[in-house]
Amino acid sequence: MAKTLKYIFLICAGLSILLGLFFRPEHPHFWWEKIPAFDAIFGFLGCILIVVGSKALGHHWLQKDEDYYSD
Amino acid sequence: MIDTQPPAFIFIAGAILLPLLRERRLRRVFQLLIPVIAFIDLLYMPEGTYWIYNFLGYELILGRVDKLSMCFGYVFVIMAFLGMVYALHIRDTGQHVAAFLYMGSTLGVTFAGDIFTLFVFWEIMAISSVFLIWYQRDIAALDAGFRYIMVHIFGGCSLLAGIIIYVSNTGSTHFGFIEYGGLASQFILVGFIINAAVPPFHAWLSDAYPEATVTGSVFLTAFTTKSAVYVLLRTFPGLELLVWLGAIMAIYGVVYAVLENDIRRLLAYHIISQVGYMVCGVGLGTEMAMNGTTAHAFCHILYKALLFMGVAAVIQVTGRRKLTELQGRNLYKKMPVTLSLYMIGAFSISAVPLFNGFVSKTMVVAAAGELHRPIIHLLLHLASIGTFLHTGLKLPYGTWFGRVPEGEKVEEIEASEPPLNMLIAMGMAAFLCIFTGIYPKILYNILPYSVHYHPYTTFNVVAMMQLLLLTAGAFWLYIDKLGGEATISVDTDWFYRKPGMLFLWFVGHPLQNLRSGLQHLLSRTVASVASLSKNPILLPEIATRYIHLRIINRLYHIFGLAEDKVEELKELESRYAAIRKITYDKDVYRRPIGFGVLLAIVLLFLYGLIYFFTLR
Repeated sequence: MAKTLKYIFLICAGLSILLGLFFRPEHPHFWWEKIPAFDAIFGFLGCILIVVGSKALGHHWLQKDEDYYSD
Repeated sequence: MIDTQPPAFIFIAGAILLPLLRERRLRRVFQLLIPVIAFIDLLYMPEGTYWIYNFLGYELILGRVDKLSMCFGYVFVIMAFLGMVYALHIRDTGQHVAAFLYMGSTLGVTFAGDIFTLFVFWEIMAISSVFLIWYQRDIAALDAGFRYIMVHIFGGCSLLAGIIIYVSNTGSTHFGFIEYGGLASQFILVGFIINAAVPPFHAWLSDAYPEATVTGSVFLTAFTTKSAVYVLLRTFPGLELLVWLGAIMAIYGVVYAVLENDIRRLLAYHIISQVGYMVCGVGLGTEMAMNGTTAHAFCHILYKALLFMGVAAVIQVTGRRKLTELQGRNLYKKMPVTLSLYMIGAFSISAVPLFNGFVSKTMVVAAAGELHRPIIHLLLHLASIGTFLHTGLKLPYGTWFGRVPEGEKVEEIEASEPPLNMLIAMGMAAFLCIFTGIYPKILYNILPYSVHYHPYTTFNVVAMMQLLLLTAGAFWLYIDKLGGEATISVDTDWFYRKPGMLFLWFVGHPLQNLRSGLQHLLSRTVASVASLSKNPILLPEIATRYIHLRIINRLYHIFGLAEDKVEELKELESRYAAIRKITYDKDVYRRPIGFGVLLAIVLLFLYGLIYFFTLR
């Protein structure tokens, strides 16, 4: 099950990147929209940034014990 | 032609009549009938301004009907129906009454044509909604509800202050575009953005919504924030401040969602994030951005309700609300239908093509692109990643699948699909999410401006798929780190919760001690004055004896006391005590009448003397 999912995922991701090489925006507003597979890169790095950045913020500052407000 | 009524009154009449119906089946029919009547009412309401009443020289306008108010009106009434189906099994009539009042007042806000009407409905909205939290009937809900209502009362006061200044400055009560600048607009803006949950005024939302009743939270997600978006669209389109607040808000919610363990609170942070898109769209202010904002509010209400319905169903059947208590319990085997319907909502909020978020969210982002706002564009893009990461991946994975951390024991939990009416409500919401996603024209036709945007270009679809699939890829890498952690995250509610507790401590301890000390001192003074006043004539003697005794006592204390003097001192003390016991008796102390006359003459003389000298 997990393995099939993995293959489906990899095929879809590969396909979307491949298609992205052929279909370009008609009127790009920003320079990065001209980079092939920009959204894929942005999605991957952005996700890592969100996870790592938020976890760092949480562990060093924001996260408290569950009874923080009750005592 | 059907004679239409203000939709707000239909719901409020429903709220009044509902408790009168004793038969349960009849009551259920009635609950569903009200939104249906309101919807038909909306269909027949012509565009224009009507239902105008004079009140103290001001015009109260209950019907300002144009495309913008109609669009919000439609989705609010649809949501009312969905929410009522979802809550149909609740026997507590009070909850339904609160929900009807809440929805009615939201519709009142939507069709208000002047700011007084707006304000009245605005306040009813705050007060009725808090009962959806309090009906949860536990301490956490009670406390959160009080914090919720305090914040909203603060917001309401700010709005009222702004309205009063505005009306006295301009003389107009028209509810429409307000030029930003000056106190009036700032107060009004603060009142509005508190309801829109714009940071730093957002903490009431993530604090209170997760504490509401299972069905109440579904209603709450739809109305307060979206009606705030509506009033912002009316009053502050194109305000640059809102662009930045909105973009920051979109990211802000995402960051907190990473840290959140409570599943409803996680979704609550995503309301903040999604409303960020809308606030940003209001700030951008172009026709496309305003259309995008309206469309996104419409879609958001549907998919957010669906998401809340899904997790609320889990909470209802398992009694658990934390990822740490749900992960690894394989709930997907027991609630596959709930999971599937939830995933439709999750795909919608993540803007997967063919789901409704795709046709609305991309419009707001594209509006930022058209205006060449690179930072805003990227921030909104980044928030999309976070949205999919949490509502589409982390939450469903942790709730229905998930792995238990090593060393922790897993107990089997009782679970099954929720009651049929809940599933039907979710099914209808899911249908609407997909329907508007596949056939966006029906939504685009009711937007305030004509739409020249096509979401389904090949590039758009491919780019979105890349973004989402690679987000999923990164999620895969961090899958074990993203499990729930049994913590809570401090947010801006810290600024009133912790100082609030400090204030209570200050009142309870130092201030209370000061009060009781002062009271003690005062009552002792009064008591001694009272005992002395028993015999004022003996006062000089008591005073001299008292001072005498004190001095002797003091001296003996310093120099020591000879044996034979002890008796003498005791004698003195007993005599002093005896004198103090003597009360005034007019027969003992009576003076001859001449004494009084003499006193009068002496005083008269002194008075004359003073008069004589001051005259010179």
